[in-house]
Amino acid sequence: MRSVLTASTEARLKQGLEEASRLGASAAKLHLRHEDKLECEFEAGEVKSAGSKETLICTAEVLINGSKGTSTGNRLEDVSTIVERAVALARTAGSAAHFDAYPAPADTTPVETRSERTLALSADEIIEASRRMDELVKTYGADLYIRCGGDRTASESLLVTTGGVCNSWERTAWSLGLFAQRMRGTDMVLTHDQRAWGELDGTYDVEAIAERLIEDMRRAETIVEPPSGRVKAYLPPDTLARFLFALVLGISGRNVAKGESPLRDRVGEQVLAPTLTIIDDPHQPFAPGARSIDDDGVPTQRQTLFENGVLQRFLYDLDTAGLAKTEPTGNNGCTPNNLVVQPGTQPSAELLKSIDDGLFIRGLIGFGQSNVMNGDVSANVGLGFRIKNGEIVGRVKDTMIAGNLYELLAKNVVLSADLDYTGCFPHAVIDGLAVSTK
Amino acid sequence: MRDRLLEALKKSTADYAEIRVEFTDNTALTYRGPEIDRAESSSCCGGIVRACTKGGWGTAAFDSVDDLGRQVEEACRCAALAGRSTTELAQVEPVDAERPARLERDFRGVGLDEKVRLMGSYNDIILGAGPAIETSYVAYVDSFRRVHFASTRGAYYMEERPQVGCYLVATARDGALVQRAHFSTGSPTTYGIVVGLEEKAREVAERAQALLKAPQPEGGPHTVILNPKMAGLFTHEAFGHLSEADFIHKNPKLRELMAIGREMGPANLNIIDDGTLSDRVGGHSFDDEGTPTRKTYLIKKGRLAGHLHSIETAARMGAQPTGNARAVRRTDPPIVRMTNTYIDSGNMPVDELFAGVDRGIYACDGVGGQTAFEMFTFSASYGHRIENGQKGELLRDVILTGNVFETLKSIDAIANDLTIPEGLGGCGKESQAPLPVSFGAPHVRIRNVVIGGK
Repeated sequence: MRSVLTASTEARLKQGLEEASRLGASAAKLHLRHEDKLECEFEAGEVKSAGSKETLICTAEVLINGSKGTSTGNRLEDVSTIVERAVALARTAGSAAHFDAYPAPADTTPVETRSERTLALSADEIIEASRRMDELVKTYGADLYIRCGGDRTASESLLVTTGGVCNSWERTAWSLGLFAQRMRGTDMVLTHDQRAWGELDGTYDVEAIAERLIEDMRRAETIVEPPSGRVKAYLPPDTLARFLFALVLGISGRNVAKGESPLRDRVGEQVLAPTLTIIDDPHQPFAPGARSIDDDGVPTQRQTLFENGVLQRFLYDLDTAGLAKTEPTGNNGCTPNNLVVQPGTQPSAELLKSIDDGLFIRGLIGFGQSNVMNGDVSANVGLGFRIKNGEIVGRVKDTMIAGNLYELLAKNVVLSADLDYTGCFPHAVIDGLAVSTK
Repeated sequence: MRDRLLEALKKSTADYAEIRVEFTDNTALTYRGPEIDRAESSSCCGGIVRACTKGGWGTAAFDSVDDLGRQVEEACRCAALAGRSTTELAQVEPVDAERPARLERDFRGVGLDEKVRLMGSYNDIILGAGPAIETSYVAYVDSFRRVHFASTRGAYYMEERPQVGCYLVATARDGALVQRAHFSTGSPTTYGIVVGLEEKAREVAERAQALLKAPQPEGGPHTVILNPKMAGLFTHEAFGHLSEADFIHKNPKLRELMAIGREMGPANLNIIDDGTLSDRVGGHSFDDEGTPTRKTYLIKKGRLAGHLHSIETAARMGAQPTGNARAVRRTDPPIVRMTNTYIDSGNMPVDELFAGVDRGIYACDGVGGQTAFEMFTFSASYGHRIENGQKGELLRDVILTGNVFETLKSIDAIANDLTIPEGLGGCGKESQAPLPVSFGAPHVRIRNVVIGGK
């Protein structure tokens, strides 16, 4: 990638801060992000497309008389215009600002986010990985319709603030995705898997992605009656991550300060099952959310959100911390940087064996359309299997799940000792999930 | 710009190449509770070159429009990497046109202070509507896109694509129970669309509070009447996406399932996608491959009548391009998308539709949906019980799910009150979102629809 983070770019952004001050801003920040991406799509046995993308985004945020204006543009030569527009917004229609100044530079924890190996990943190699995934899944059934692909991203960012922060960082990432469909009459089985990481290490495992889809197809061969009523559910790590979505909304300091989170006033209370310890770890090397500093210049920190089910804290960005009269936690948008669920003690295979009758939820359709802030969910089981006497006996159809995530995660939750490829999520068994069928 | 694009395309070594450059200005103002929560503007330019060689596509997306020739070369290099078969792209008469925006009331001429004052007045109505109102979300958005397109076939157009709209959301709380009610509207032609919505603000505030006391429906199969917004969402989500030929053309099994002529529903069922509706946000003169938009029957008299095509899918399936290749961001390649999609009017008065239901559910104003080919799940903003043909008690958390083929066949009555609501759309596909689309329908009655519930 041709770097734009030169001394002259830094000088140009700092000049933008001065221009903001001259126009009456009491505080300002400028954030520049430059990204270079290679991507490849593979469909039905052939390369569908290969491409490159280079984008640049420059955002100015200014404070004037307690109002905040934000403006964005994508040409370095437009920095003055971007600043002027932000000032005009702050003067006439600015959002309420709950802080007076951007923080001064502080000690940060260095985090590895840039990998030379990932950077060297070529379009040819991504095409080859896609071809390999396609071939592997095809070995299970030549009649499968397969789409797959991958990408490699390199990005660089520069943040300058009137607080004195001048911080730049680089990041690399790859992703691989695989989708397979089998159709018999009007019956379809759809499944997909994807991985994304910063380092080109053992996580870049084409075989593992393909094997997971083959396992899904094998398990889906037989159609069985779904269980009904309130059942035990087995959640693989990516499904568990989706079940935590309500918690992510609930621990947002913004939602707490605006009175919308059901967790407000509940710090110190037993909210979840004692087996659940959940951490925000922005310092895990090469995790997609890894970072030393947030976009306001606040250092990030490793922090426990739920300890043995007890709510520990909420997440605050700079503005929301001012609103809630607390300290910022280094979380842009008041969302976790990198959520980590501490593992349990049993292997996932044993968890599965422990279920007499239940539902293995591999994929959901429409999750998150209910009142998720409240914890309510209702979703179609896009791909799910029935478990009987500890064994997967076949695929279920026309099955919906419903319940309240806070209630479900407060009951008996058992976690596996083994984690997914990111090292962040175990497998889980939950109890009392309402299942309705046609 | 015309000459710059056509000049740059001379560097193409591909079988086909096109270049699209966009200039976009956006404004977003958001109230959340009593304060303005977000005030943002953006002004960006950039584009994408797409080239096709031996059937493989190469793309080069960029923000800098300084060296378009280099981007053409990069896209052609990528296409050569991808192509292994033959290029098959349908012919379209090359356009040469300029389509400036025709705005009845131009939002660019309205001051930020006026936009804030207007949204603030709706916000005050919601927040002052009652003790159970906990918070509000009132957002104003506008966008002005100028799109320049040229291809190696000699086509060129410039089209301006404005849109303006707003969202009104009321949140009410009773203990741990939180309920929301929504209204949104949008227009490609006038700022007037966001003016005079005081009554809508009152309605959402009242409904959010009423939903706190509303029960959830019992899970399981029900007879359901969908109102036009909800039926429109069903049409878009459950069926419309299946009509997008990029899903179908390389998938022999799906091609068979979606074969033209296949019986899909009752004989009075007609489903249409119409990109020429210029007063709805899904309407444009041309798609992002330079094909003029048009009206396409997807289902006619209950039988599958057409698919939505790009120039590639049309060639591969022996059909005509339909003007449905659309891109969301300036750096996105066009993919097959819907425009304005609706179920055409039937002939039954709405009262008769209700009269035919002893016990059922009236599902209103869809708020979201998701499909996985045949399976769909989507949520109503609210619902009512139907008892002895009468609309009854208010219901919350009405979520419908099912198999689209079975559900279309279970349609047993279509009313005569077609409505295509004005809105901003917001369709998502393959990481391209939010696409401006609209959808609508008359009231539609469907038997045996699975409703989620505890």
